[in-house]
Amino acid sequence: MAEETNTALTESAQYRWALAIDLDRCTGCEACVVACHAENNIPVTPESEAAASTKHWLRIDRYYEGEFPDIKMKYRPVMCQQCDQAPCEPVCPVYATYQNGEGLNVQVYNRCVGTRYCANNCPYTVRFFNWFEPEWPEPLELQLNPDVSVRPAGVMEKCTFCIQRIQRGKLDASEEDRRVEDGDIETACSQSCPAEAMIFGDLSDSESKISKLAAQGRATQLLDELGTQPRVFYLERAK
Amino acid sequence: MERRSFFKMVGTASGAALTGACGKPAAELLPILVPEEQIVPGVEEWHPSVCRECTAGCGVIVRVMEAHHKLERDGESVLHPIAAIKKVEGNPLDPVSGGRLCGRGQASVQRLYHPDRLRGPKKRTGDRGAAELSDADWDEAHETLASLLRQIDPARIVWLTRAESSSRSATVARFLDALGASAATTVGVNDFSVERAAAKALYGWDGLPVYEIQDADFVLSLGADFLGGWTSPVLYARRFGHFRQGRPQTRGTLIHAESRLSQTGWAADRWLPVAPGGEQDLAVAIGNLLIEEHGLGKDVGEAFRAPYTNIDLAATIAATGVSALRVRETAAQLAAANAPLVVAGASIVRTNSVAAVGAASGLNVLLGNVGKPGGVKAPTTSPFPRPKFSDPQARLEEAEIVFVEGVDPLYLQPALKDALAGVETVVSFASMVDETAAFADWVLPDHDALESAAAVVPEVAPGAALTGAASFVRPLYDTRPVEETLSEIAKRLEKGIDHVTAHSAYEDTFAALDEKDEWDGPLEFADYAERQGGWWSDAASSSAPEAGATVLEAARFEGSESDYPLTFQPYFSSRFGDGSGAALPWLQETPDPTSSAMWEAPMEIDPGTAAAAQASNGDLFRIETSAGSIQAPVYVNPAAIPGVVSMAIGQGHQHLGRDASGRGTNPLAVVAEAAESQTGVLAFGATRCRLSKAGDGTLRQFSIVDRETEPVRL
Repeated sequence: MAEETNTALTESAQYRWALAIDLDRCTGCEACVVACHAENNIPVTPESEAAASTKHWLRIDRYYEGEFPDIKMKYRPVMCQQCDQAPCEPVCPVYATYQNGEGLNVQVYNRCVGTRYCANNCPYTVRFFNWFEPEWPEPLELQLNPDVSVRPAGVMEKCTFCIQRIQRGKLDASEEDRRVEDGDIETACSQSCPAEAMIFGDLSDSESKISKLAAQGRATQLLDELGTQPRVFYLERAK
Repeated sequence: MERRSFFKMVGTASGAALTGACGKPAAELLPILVPEEQIVPGVEEWHPSVCRECTAGCGVIVRVMEAHHKLERDGESVLHPIAAIKKVEGNPLDPVSGGRLCGRGQASVQRLYHPDRLRGPKKRTGDRGAAELSDADWDEAHETLASLLRQIDPARIVWLTRAESSSRSATVARFLDALGASAATTVGVNDFSVERAAAKALYGWDGLPVYEIQDADFVLSLGADFLGGWTSPVLYARRFGHFRQGRPQTRGTLIHAESRLSQTGWAADRWLPVAPGGEQDLAVAIGNLLIEEHGLGKDVGEAFRAPYTNIDLAATIAATGVSALRVRETAAQLAAANAPLVVAGASIVRTNSVAAVGAASGLNVLLGNVGKPGGVKAPTTSPFPRPKFSDPQARLEEAEIVFVEGVDPLYLQPALKDALAGVETVVSFASMVDETAAFADWVLPDHDALESAAAVVPEVAPGAALTGAASFVRPLYDTRPVEETLSEIAKRLEKGIDHVTAHSAYEDTFAALDEKDEWDGPLEFADYAERQGGWWSDAASSSAPEAGATVLEAARFEGSESDYPLTFQPYFSSRFGDGSGAALPWLQETPDPTSSAMWEAPMEIDPGTAAAAQASNGDLFRIETSAGSIQAPVYVNPAAIPGVVSMAIGQGHQHLGRDASGRGTNPLAVVAEAAESQTGVLAFGATRCRLSKAGDGTLRQFSIVDRETEPVRL
């Protein structure tokens, strides 16, 4: 039933946002991690709590493969996968997280009561609970992005695919009485990426770059065996 | 103004700003009588600028919007509306950044709004190094320094800086010239003196070679962590992305040879773990195979070929630490490639690094790719001086007054402390109290880079480039640009220097080109810096290489092998660069790419060494060298070369604000005083060490894999 509902939602939507990450280009430099902090008002976690509570909506997972001297480091940026069949959604008792018409897993901060069931049910461990009231030592608060709310203690947060940028792109397009065109919207991470490894776009546009990349032979989805149907496509490294 | 409308913005007249409500574009332009930095925009504006976090010179665009700054006025706290900087991104028009930006560049906004920035000029009241400073007055500072300079022998004036070529370096050069003093000098750490010296010796080029990675199909990077903390990480990451997946039917192959698995090693198709000091041997061995087995280099002179041919190949390969199979394979791949390229560098400097980089660069001559697409290109010339290294120890011993700008010498070379202590007057232009500013008699804080007008020549660029910024926000505090401070001092000395402004830098450059009939475009600063963030030309340097022969020499290490059985190699990371990045909380919180550590930098050791020392992740160990000892937590790195201890440079500040001070240790503090033999710069990768347990510790790692799996089995 849930599958039918979600399919119906995405079919009726005007846009289906998705992100492709080309692991053959990615250098693991973490420019995207800092870009995400700068864009989304993610507070710095007190050092004493850093190991347990640091919030990086986007992280670089890395693994060693092989043994010295033929050893390799493998790595991939991981953020909310914006699943079509999101395990986080049905467990929220107050409907604070749901899938919107464009396939984004939206988090409603002022509805969240902090049960953390969603984080518990997320196989990607990309949801973060605000254990602390966020603080910015004066005058660091001058940098805060006015397009993004500052989340209080007690609520859950995660990558939004920079929904504020999506909204801005849609408004700009509607003022010109047109659809959002491919390349109009970039998430903060994809915009910053020096190796141009991240491509954001609309899957409902068959000519978009993301549609073509997602259909490539190298495209995979993280833990796809779980059936979560993520909207993040990893283009595996070529051999 | 929106990011995507940036191109449209550049067509708007200087001094104009868009205003409006609800995000709708407005037609009204503010009168040009309102200076740009006094406009508080209600909706976003994007202004071009240049990143100064390192010397790469990436063009950026800066998002400016209204914010409320808390001020004390008549004893009351008030909120004052100001034009605040919200975000820094790459400038899509800039050929270096191409609209992209590294983490350090993006975090630069935290330097601007750092709570521990100096609010005005200071003078020392306590002991040197104690950072006990009291408020001073700009006039008092100018007057005192002018009267000191009046009495001093110009030979005893020293200016320490970084290797940036800019309107700043030109002003400093004019100031020092007017006083009759020697040119400004770098401190020889993280200034790429080795790569410059090798390029000069091999090709006769002044500047860093430009590697055309994007058009190569096979790249061997030898000693150059070009995707990490090397010369121009954003430019080379963009080129790497294109090299890998930007061309239909062609995917470039990258082999990386270095004594640690660096970021470039991660991205490579294969990493060759070169023994520390074996970089030259690997270059020579590959050169030998290219000449003897693959028949390359027939058209180069015998003197050039000699260093590669007059060797015992088996012994040379053995000295590399890389298997003969891999060395031969790599040489064969280079010989077979359509567009092979060797990127030569010394991310970790040894005593023979100029020879090693020269030998590696010489492979490009053998491969015949110098000046070719996908090969190595000559650097473009700069209209401004780029400060060079001269031994700071010797300079400081003779100095009576030292100016320190854009660099923290006591962090990069803690051994300079005694020499600096003997200098009568130390003047720092730091915007936060760093190790050297804590030693200074006067701290005259510069504007933040994002508040400053500047013209910068990028370290490496595809063609001629002058990247810059106008001022577009009002400075937050009572700071002064260094140019203005020097002008004030010079005025009092009746030396009246015509200081180089960002405006004059552009206009002089264009006038010089115009005189030579090489430029027919507009000649005004506003047409470039204010509107698009720089002037760039496709014209590359036509300098022909001279192909001088490399003189080989063996690497030396300080400390006897019996007392110090391990090799110690600090390295520059993409997070902290020259150490100044440690001040910024975003960078402290960003996990270290290798160890995933946050808020600290562990020592990386191999599992065998860890087993012998009974060390596990997080244990606190002591690194002892002939120069002293430090303590750091251990990270057992499965990819560390056995017997090699690596540690990222960046932590271990006593000062530099609340996020850096008192945290971790500075690996450069235990580097022995070994010099690179041809340049004299600090060979910070030429020290032997030993380890001993110092106690239990912790390692704050972000990686869930590390936190949740068993410790590495020993």
